[in-house]
Amino acid sequence: MHIHNVVFSHDGTRNQLDGVSASVQTGKITTIIGPNGCGKSTLLSLVSRNNKPVTGTVQLEQKDVIDYKPKEFAKKLAIVYQQNDIPPQITVEQLVSYGRLPHQTFMKRNDTEDNEAVTWALTCTNLLHKRANDVSALSGGERQRVWIAMALAQRSEILCLDEPTTYLDIYYQIELLELVKQLNADYGLTIVMVLHDINQAMQYSDDIILMKDGKMVAQGHPKDVITTDMMQQVYDVRVAFTEDAEIGRYMIPLSI
Amino acid sequence: MKKIISFVVVIIALIAMTIYATMTGSIQVDTLSFIKTVFDPNDETMQVIRDLRFPRIIVAIFAGAALSVAGVLLQAIMRNPLADAGVIGISAGSAFVTTFLLTMFPAYFMYGPLFSFIGGAIACFLVFSLSFKSGLNPLKIILVGIAIAAMFTGLREAFVTICGYMGVMVDGTVSSNLSMRTWNEVEIIVFYGVIGLIVATLLAKWCNLLILQDKTAKSLGFNVTRARVIIAAVAVLLAGVATATVGVISFVGLLIPHIARRLVGHDHKVLIPFSALAGGLLILMADTLGRTLLAPQEIPASTIMAIIGGPFLIFLLRREKN
Repeated sequence: MHIHNVVFSHDGTRNQLDGVSASVQTGKITTIIGPNGCGKSTLLSLVSRNNKPVTGTVQLEQKDVIDYKPKEFAKKLAIVYQQNDIPPQITVEQLVSYGRLPHQTFMKRNDTEDNEAVTWALTCTNLLHKRANDVSALSGGERQRVWIAMALAQRSEILCLDEPTTYLDIYYQIELLELVKQLNADYGLTIVMVLHDINQAMQYSDDIILMKDGKMVAQGHPKDVITTDMMQQVYDVRVAFTEDAEIGRYMIPLSI
Repeated sequence: MKKIISFVVVIIALIAMTIYATMTGSIQVDTLSFIKTVFDPNDETMQVIRDLRFPRIIVAIFAGAALSVAGVLLQAIMRNPLADAGVIGISAGSAFVTTFLLTMFPAYFMYGPLFSFIGGAIACFLVFSLSFKSGLNPLKIILVGIAIAAMFTGLREAFVTICGYMGVMVDGTVSSNLSMRTWNEVEIIVFYGVIGLIVATLLAKWCNLLILQDKTAKSLGFNVTRARVIIAAVAVLLAGVATATVGVISFVGLLIPHIARRLVGHDHKVLIPFSALAGGLLILMADTLGRTLLAPQEIPASTIMAIIGGPFLIFLLRREKN
């Protein structure tokens, strides 16, 4: 997936994205990071086609994402948003089965295939035993997994996650990132996500896109992008790095 | 289980209410002679019942069904439990445009339902476009809707007054009253009503998907805007045809879906048919009550609905805040 020089503005006066070019490698975990308001979620909204760029293009398999039919695109790319309203009185299985919509038409649907995909999605997210439960009765971490399961049921090759850990406790944050890592490793799912926590981004990503003020500052392997100089330049924070025997390179903020 | 019981109770109540409504009124018929007269087409009492009471009962049931299903559909597309064709001005738009066009062009009386649809569509479009920026906030829609309703009601009253001053006969089709309904009107409301209700049931899955946030529904390849426009058109058709035959009746589309959700849940595949039955029952009850309470004087069904519905809207608004 290639992002070519995209410009985007919500209101036509200030550009939230000001000429960003980047790429997403198939089968890898790419994480977009940057300070608040740098345009990272906006960039994800262009990738997932929720917004259209003013100029520039986002290409998926040599085709502009805008040119895909909605359902065709939904079979290629799924997205889980940061905050989701839960419909009243809906079971986990019902909500997850909405993810099969791109594969159904008004007249035609394949029930066996749909059931298989839903069961697979529930298994991956460890929700199989909760399939008949009401979604509103679940914990925050479980709810986020339900939305991921819905996206998985789409059976797309690319999964986008917009700040998936923001409203979760540390336990569920790790649980969720481990799930993402596992989906990538086991099924070759291409992951594009926005994260706030730089250490988590470093630990779980193959590729980092670092942004500031609507521009991309750097893209590359975490250890090449997340450096003392870059953190000073982008976040205005002085940092140091240390090694941990288990998780490897680790960043410690020192002062502002 | 609760769903099945609710359906059975409403169906039995609707049948019972229909029989009761047939037998009571300015001509009272007791059960025995009612059964006797049903099988005697030349009986005078039976003719009165057939020509006056049956049309009225059928129109009441279908108008109630159409209005409450229109409410369900509007609530789905606006993601707002307070939307009702009467409250947000769709019925008022229908009534004004129908009265205006039929008075100006009385020869086109057969296009009444179409005029009604156009008026409702204009009102619906205005409410939508004026409250879309606020993210279809429930209270904002109600405020905009009340303004639109007041505007169209005012326009219609002004038009009627001007016509009276100039000695022009105002078309009386749209009056908030169920008396003197004819088999002609039964044909119109049954024809368009049945089409609208069937299409509404087919659109149930779309209504369910619209409960998701727009961005989520969009990410599933669901064309949110197209679904909204089509569902809105069906809602306006239902509300319009009801207004064209019985005038503006508010609050049915608010009350019934709310109670129906409590009884049969939020799945539109069940909610829409149930609301149709319960809505029919409610308006039939309101009308029967209205014509028997102070007989031979009549209280219009719309008045009874306003008396029940007004406090109910306040109750819902208070709950909405918590």
